[in-house]
Amino acid sequence: MRSRIGLLAIAGVAIVTAAVIGVMSVLIVGAHRGALLAQLTRGADQLSETIRSSTYWDMLENRRPALHREIVTLGRQAGIEKVRLFNATGTIMFSSDENEIGRSLDKRAEACYACHAAGRPLEKLSTRQRARIYRAADGHRVLGMIRSIDNEPACWNAACHAHSREETVLGVLDVNLSLAEADRQIAHDQRQLVLLAVLAIAASSLLLWWLSDRLVVRPVRTLIAGTRKVADGDLSTTLPAQARGELGDLARAFNAMIQRLGDAQRQLTQADKLASVGRLAAGVAHEINNPLTGILTYASFLQKRVPDRPEMAQDLEVIVRETKRCREIVRGLLDFARRSPPQHHPTDLNEVVRRGVAVVMNQLTLARVKLDFDLAPDLPAVPADANQLQQVAVNLILNAADAIGERGGTIHVRTGVVDVPPRGHTVIRTATCPKGCDLLDPAVRIGRNPALRVLRRHGEREATVHLDPVYGRVNHRASEPCEDGTLCSYACPRCRTRLDLPEVRCGTCGAPVFAVQSVGGARVEWCTRKGCHWTRWQAAESLGSQRQVELAVEDTGMGIAPEDLDHLFEPFFTTKGNRGLGLGLAVTWGIIEGHGGTVDVESESGQGTRFTVRLPLSGTREAEPAPAPAVSSAPSAPGPAPTGQAPAATPEGERGAA
Amino acid sequence: MSATWDVLVIDDEPVVRDAIRLVLEEEGLRVALVPDAETALLNRALDTCRLVICDVMLPGATGIEVVRAIRARRPAVPIVLITGFATAEVAARSREAGATAFLAKPFDDTELLDLVRRVLERTDAAGEEGRS
Repeated sequence: MRSRIGLLAIAGVAIVTAAVIGVMSVLIVGAHRGALLAQLTRGADQLSETIRSSTYWDMLENRRPALHREIVTLGRQAGIEKVRLFNATGTIMFSSDENEIGRSLDKRAEACYACHAAGRPLEKLSTRQRARIYRAADGHRVLGMIRSIDNEPACWNAACHAHSREETVLGVLDVNLSLAEADRQIAHDQRQLVLLAVLAIAASSLLLWWLSDRLVVRPVRTLIAGTRKVADGDLSTTLPAQARGELGDLARAFNAMIQRLGDAQRQLTQADKLASVGRLAAGVAHEINNPLTGILTYASFLQKRVPDRPEMAQDLEVIVRETKRCREIVRGLLDFARRSPPQHHPTDLNEVVRRGVAVVMNQLTLARVKLDFDLAPDLPAVPADANQLQQVAVNLILNAADAIGERGGTIHVRTGVVDVPPRGHTVIRTATCPKGCDLLDPAVRIGRNPALRVLRRHGEREATVHLDPVYGRVNHRASEPCEDGTLCSYACPRCRTRLDLPEVRCGTCGAPVFAVQSVGGARVEWCTRKGCHWTRWQAAESLGSQRQVELAVEDTGMGIAPEDLDHLFEPFFTTKGNRGLGLGLAVTWGIIEGHGGTVDVESESGQGTRFTVRLPLSGTREAEPAPAPAVSSAPSAPGPAPTGQAPAATPEGERGAA
Repeated sequence: MSATWDVLVIDDEPVVRDAIRLVLEEEGLRVALVPDAETALLNRALDTCRLVICDVMLPGATGIEVVRAIRARRPAVPIVLITGFATAEVAARSREAGATAFLAKPFDDTELLDLVRRVLERTDAAGEEGRS
């Protein structure tokens, strides 16, 4: 199928070429013919003059046979049609065509017309006027040239006295040349011109066809094919964009458009998927959470009311634990449905802080709060979502301003780079027993991360212990107290496989250790002696310290009561009375956890509070220990979570490194 | 029959109402139960209670509307919203409407008790001027 564009262009060019070449041919052939004729006319004139000169004496001396012979001979020359001589009355006296001799011509005959047209004969004519062209009997053209034989003294003085003095013209010499050869030449030239014109039209059409096919038709056809594919829903289509010029630009623009369309569609699909999951999750959450509330409340209520029946308490513990697992599953579904992953780009934390400060500057000035900056000048860029980080900076600064209250005060904002060791910061996010049971218990969180649940035995006594998931920290919780110094043994609470490693000894007290398997089978070890805080995670230690950027916001406000520190990052927890929503720090914590970072808080009542945000420079390490928040008791995710989620067991050991 | 109640529980799910009553009565609180907003607004307990616990999704009305209606009658009474569908948006809107605290279902007895105690302590400390 040939495209219309190509056809139209070729037809247009062919018509224009034909017209130009046609006009040119007509002009060229005309000029050529004119030049040829002029040349022949000049030749004929010269020939007639030659004949007159060479016959002059024959005529003067009236040597008629010689004259006759001469004219016949001349008439036989190639290209000469005939030569004849008229007398003044129009009678052919001599001619190379002997049949004509003696015949009289009328004044209106073609040979006479030039002089006799006006009635009264002309006596002097120009060369062009003397020439005439007519067709011979067989149709070929003939150029006739007449030349008058004028009367001169020699004629009327001659002895024959044939002419009187009064006569002006004594006769006319008529030389006729055949134009057949010239006409053949012209016809040949014409044919060649026509052939050339046809060739030129064909060549230019062919060239145009080739060019339009290469430059227009094929790219356009590819574009159309691409457009059709897109219309059929194939957004992976790309056009080869190597062509230069406008069509290349068009192809590139097309590709860019399709790419953006694809991105938008993928986002829409993703959003659609998330929305569906969200609706499903909402429905499931609503339907399931009501019965779960019943089970959980009744079971946990009963659990504390059967102290004299330990087997029943243990069975109820199973119900409570498994119901809490269900709760975590539903919560995870909801979290997943509303999660928007942060967009990480290299971010200058100082710039983020400056922009955040600009947002709240007016409020701070009104509250008579001074800002004091100590921003590290050569802070490396951190992979982060700048908008979310700005929200964190604003939250922390506004919190600090609120803590300062009406009295006025100063907020110190500091940035810097720190090396964070794994001990006290890295979270154990994978923990299994030797048989592969998952030891992480999402229902019990220590420092906002799921704790590790193990079974502790000494003698006949058995207790559930939740180990602090932050490596090196010892905020463990046990369902039953145990005297310090007791050597215990540890086991998996599900399959009851022993976790003890008798051959490995504690680095502090020499007691046996117990261990769980973390990422890649690496062991995390603890001492089995109650009260000994020795622990070792070789894999995390071998990774060494992690460079992190740090943002510290410190106020000179009223400080936070120790009992409130535990609830600080819970949604709706606020010490601001009716002024705050209690969402700021929960959101902050969610954002920083989403960046694989930590938020630490140090506070002293009446002295002020310091929040320290740390973000890893390398981003979150996949399947590797990630840094942990260092404040205990917090919700599972940035979204709201129940308030008052208190530990079901008594704190054990000492408060962590926070 | 005593004319005063400590807690008014509004939830259309009987098991949730009963569970809450079980835990709170053990704490020595007198608990009134109603299944929907209409009944709640007609119940005399609304005028005397020290705390309202209300589900966010109720038949005929959202918990947020209920919070507004209660606020009109009892400007200072603490209202705890409970929901099985805890999103930041629902939380923010209920807070805006005047809810005091927010508890995600499912909760256990400790979580419920801790929150109720904390809310009551705080209102007691603030001196409950809204009691009518």
